[in-house]
Amino acid sequence: PPPPPPPPPPPPPPPPPPPPPPPGHPRACPRIPGAALPSPPRAGGAPGSLQVPPEVQPFSRASQFVRAAVILRWKTLKEHFRGRKNRCYKLAVKSVRRAFVRSTKARREKKRFLRALWITRIEAASLEHGLKYPAFISNLLKSQVELNRKVLADLAIYEPKTFKSLAALAQRRRQEGFLAALGDGKEPEGIFSRIVHHHY
Amino acid sequence: MSTDPLSFQQWATFARAWYLLDAKMQPPGKIAAATVIRLEGRHKPIYHALNDCGDHVVIINTRHIAFSGNKWEQKVYSSHTGYPGGFKQVTATQLHLKDPTAIVKLAVYRMLPKNLQRRTLMQRLHLFPEDVIPEDIEKNLLQEIPQPRAVPKRLDEYTPEEIAAFPKVWTPLIWIDC
Repeated sequence: PPPPPPPPPPPPPPPPPPPPPPPGHPRACPRIPGAALPSPPRAGGAPGSLQVPPEVQPFSRASQFVRAAVILRWKTLKEHFRGRKNRCYKLAVKSVRRAFVRSTKARREKKRFLRALWITRIEAASLEHGLKYPAFISNLLKSQVELNRKVLADLAIYEPKTFKSLAALAQRRRQEGFLAALGDGKEPEGIFSRIVHHHY
Repeated sequence: MSTDPLSFQQWATFARAWYLLDAKMQPPGKIAAATVIRLEGRHKPIYHALNDCGDHVVIINTRHIAFSGNKWEQKVYSSHTGYPGGFKQVTATQLHLKDPTAIVKLAVYRMLPKNLQRRTLMQRLHLFPEDVIPEDIEKNLLQEIPQPRAVPKRLDEYTPEEIAAFPKVWTPLIWIDC
């Protein structure tokens, strides 16, 4: 009798499935099964050490950071809104867009507002020393002390004695201006007696 | 409170002060202008609208304010009760007789910035018709604000020596004693 046929060879084992990507990886659900996964981004992250959130689906390495930055900015903004604007997408989108537009416009108005605030503070400080703001500023400029209003306001708050000496300088220059206009043309004695004539 | 010396300086810088202003023979508009600056805190270099750095102001002798020109007869204070036919107009004299502090109060109220802070700042304003002040307010007073208008002397307030010393352009034929 013929020997029994040899048992059929076992079917080849199926190819091993690709290893599942880590949960925080942007390619959590791979588009092309079996294709090689791209290497994960650097641990520190590129611009500004940004952590790319999992819901971003990038096409390229560079745009994933841009998208993440935009979404992060939107998120940080809308979290501080009042009412349903901080929870519901349709309302939040409108509010965030308006917030961005307003912040763009406000950048120009901030400069005006801050300058007005500095002027108010300098006026308060110079009135404490007996000088009005226009007299103070014009006489400082005539004495070639070209400090801007921001610095003068900071001096008025944090360096009161320096501000007092500046006010005294402006007052003295003012008196000399009056003497030059009303006096008899003789050069008075003193430290600040030399009136600088600007020829522009 | 910590023992940090800078916290003491912070408390001292932002402390609320009490100022006195004598309104005798002063125009109420200038009184209000000087008051509003102190109430808002614009006399301080640390001023900011959100800082709440204003001070208290106590105004005395509001009964003796002095309007210039014919304003006592001509200036009109209008109001409406809200009901039909409720439009009321009173001259400054009538209002002053009815309430001696009303003119200064309205002047300050209308000069303050028209925002929600206005009512809070009005609560820091204290008006008295004469120079009688309650004790607890008098204890708080720190400094007097200089009067905005220099009060001129009347002829009968001059002494005879000052009148004699005053230079004369011509001597009258008949001497009239004042």
